[in-house]
Amino acid sequence: MTRTTQAPKALRNAGNYIDDRFHLAKTGKKQLGKVFPNHWSFMLGEIALYSFIILLVTGVFLTLWFKPSMAEIVYDGAYEPMQGVTMSEAYASTLYINFEVRGGMLIRQIHHWAALIFLAAMLIHMLRVFFTGAFRKPREINWLIGIALFALAMVEGLFGYSLPDDLPSGMGVRILQGVMMALPIVGPYASMFLFGGAFPGEDIIPRLYMLHILLIPGILLALVGAHILILWHQKHTQYPGKGHTEKRVVGTPMLPAFAVKGGAFFFFVFAVITALSGFVQINPIHLFGPFTPTSITSGLQPDWYMGFMEGSLRIFPNWFDIDVAGYSIPTAVLVPGLVVPGLVFGAMALWPFVEAWISGDRRHHNVADRPRNAPVRTGMGVAGITFYGLLWMAGSNDILSETFSISLYATTWFFRITVIVGPIIGFIIAKRACLGLQRRDREQLEHGYESGTIQQLPSGEFIEVHKESSEDVVHVLESKEPVSRIDVRALDENGVEAPSSRGLMGRLRLRLAEWYTRDNVSFEGVEPHTGHHLRHGAHGEDNLSPQDREEAATT
Amino acid sequence: MTRNGETVKWITARRRHPLAGYVVVTLALTLFGVGYAVIAPGAERAEAQTLAAEAAAAEEQPTAEDVAEGREIYNKTCASCHGPNGEAGEGYTGPDITGEGAAAVDFQVSTGRMPSMNPDAQMPRKPPVLNQEEIDDLLAYYNAELGDPGAPGVPSSDIPGEPPKRADFEDHGAYEEALEEWEAKYEDYIEGAKNPNAGMELYLANCAHCHSWSGQGGALTGGRWAPEIGDATPLQIYEAMITGPGTMPEFSDKVITPDEKQDLIAYVKDLQAEPNAGGIFDLNRVAQVAEGFIAWTVGLTLIVACAIWITAKQRTHD
Repeated sequence: MTRTTQAPKALRNAGNYIDDRFHLAKTGKKQLGKVFPNHWSFMLGEIALYSFIILLVTGVFLTLWFKPSMAEIVYDGAYEPMQGVTMSEAYASTLYINFEVRGGMLIRQIHHWAALIFLAAMLIHMLRVFFTGAFRKPREINWLIGIALFALAMVEGLFGYSLPDDLPSGMGVRILQGVMMALPIVGPYASMFLFGGAFPGEDIIPRLYMLHILLIPGILLALVGAHILILWHQKHTQYPGKGHTEKRVVGTPMLPAFAVKGGAFFFFVFAVITALSGFVQINPIHLFGPFTPTSITSGLQPDWYMGFMEGSLRIFPNWFDIDVAGYSIPTAVLVPGLVVPGLVFGAMALWPFVEAWISGDRRHHNVADRPRNAPVRTGMGVAGITFYGLLWMAGSNDILSETFSISLYATTWFFRITVIVGPIIGFIIAKRACLGLQRRDREQLEHGYESGTIQQLPSGEFIEVHKESSEDVVHVLESKEPVSRIDVRALDENGVEAPSSRGLMGRLRLRLAEWYTRDNVSFEGVEPHTGHHLRHGAHGEDNLSPQDREEAATT
Repeated sequence: MTRNGETVKWITARRRHPLAGYVVVTLALTLFGVGYAVIAPGAERAEAQTLAAEAAAAEEQPTAEDVAEGREIYNKTCASCHGPNGEAGEGYTGPDITGEGAAAVDFQVSTGRMPSMNPDAQMPRKPPVLNQEEIDDLLAYYNAELGDPGAPGVPSSDIPGEPPKRADFEDHGAYEEALEEWEAKYEDYIEGAKNPNAGMELYLANCAHCHSWSGQGGALTGGRWAPEIGDATPLQIYEAMITGPGTMPEFSDKVITPDEKQDLIAYVKDLQAEPNAGGIFDLNRVAQVAEGFIAWTVGLTLIVACAIWITAKQRTHD
């Protein structure tokens, strides 16, 4: 008996067979031993990946029975209340999946719930990447791929929602067509090409079907592949900690630990989605009834991820509609339907480049920022969340109005005002909170943490004893880098204006750099645990002193 | 140490526990929620309960006594706003009701919307103040002395109203009998619809844009709302259509024939009774907003909790 454990013979043979042909053993060993940092927030993208897999599998199942046809038929299937109703084949075949295919209803509901979870997971994953600055060099391309994925997934979801040709489907497509028609000059043509004539026509369902099951999933799959390969190649970012450096990733190896965790996590995601699908009714198309162009209902919304666009359409006023040479330009549709989402996605896509331009930071970053250490970025993120969130809520204003007995007009005005004021307040609060946390970090670094132990001094004074933070915590606290900043003085040593500060853009850049770095709690010169460990009442650390600003300005 | 002191000490010892924050948030939310439930006005949510319909009495021709009773009820509960002749006018806050018709009176009173406290506000559905016998007397008085003969009267007695209520019967047997009779009438009316599919088309084309596809109601402009119609009896739905209460348009029997109305009502009631094939939680049939809310608060939250769980390090105390 040998003492070294060997793989079973069958595995060894298979391994050798592959290795003889592809010489994979070395690469395989290296790749399978790849290390992944361990943190729950690094698992968010995985939720999206797993729900995407679930979507692909359940989607294939649904295509086996779904008929993408707008041909009118009289329903004669198992669902009794609809018998004798004239409807499209698409709607009838969806009813067939619901009531005559074994497990069809469950699979449809899994497909729909997984879609909601997919986009939600993408969104929180994106927020995690944003707030930790993980989009910085070298990961800007992957950030852009992520944004493309999110935008495509939204369109994919909208088209999927439109396929069954039930009442909400038709209403959703109607809004899509309305927004297209609002485009100046090309609008009616774009609509005509998509619908093959007037709304709704006969072509739209087969075309959406092709987009929904072939083109967009194909692109999504390719982009997901690229996203993961780039991540693999660049390695995952990690949070600051003991031994975590820009050149060294600390975490669990791919095999066995991370693969087991990831596999288990897949099953958990699947379990939650399936449990929801088993117990909570989603998109009951059999209750909605088929779409006819005369039908319309209140209380219907798009799925959540289109909510912010619905909201911007609902609250945008029609004050700016204009006529140009006899042609009306419906800005009340054009701006909220296209400009607002364009701004949201454009801002997200440009942010890494804007930030790099403002800060002049061209270094590689593999250690993630703590959100508090980038107050302006965090503030901008919170402002973005507030803007998006308010638009999103505005999309459900009729439901809010009815549920909470608030006047519908009051909600409209509430959202019109807060959608402008809210982000500003959000920015200020978030930035102040970051600076407060920085101050606390500095104090903890200098003085240790509050132990909760109260001591009485001989003088009779009560104090709380501070204890030294652990090495790990010190590492985390010390991870705050001095704020790098392009030269604000704008004059070189000879008193000549620096080239980069000339011109409109140069001056703008200087102003932005000043704004981006102005408020900062400097950690410079702070040595861990050099302060008093006994916190006295008199020992007051004032908030952001002028000295701090100076320090930042002169570095 | 006092009990109280011990509790404080117990809390103090645990205030830095990793779960302390969650506990505080949960308690605060619970307090807020329960507090709101206590403070929130209950009337709007009160579900209308049934009132007795003594079918036999309704079919009888009203007597002079009924009219006299009705006058007394009118003077006590209605005249203060609508005036002694129903014409309201100077000094009265309510509208002229002489042209509204008995169907409108029956609808408003049987759904509890009248008598109303505030003539300017839209009234929610409430348990009716008058019982069926009193409503019948009021209608007799209205028809005899106040209403225009041309205005829509209470529609055919084949349309079922509220089911009989036990409290209105002294004898249990009589109640059972009346209930059975009402059930038969209800079934005849709903199942007797010739074409509920046509009813669906009518409903989706004419009603759903305010009352929503599920009959849950919806918000309207100017602070008004379209009420939920789940609790409305077939008779009340019919009356609402022919009288057009509030901002609702009027759908006279010429626009939508009585047979079509029967189809429509049958569709509404069938849809309401339709079980939720997709799962035991129907999210009140609010659909997408509720689904998105659940996807985030239940679905994603559970999954993220799992992510936190599987990546958790063993906690060493700092």
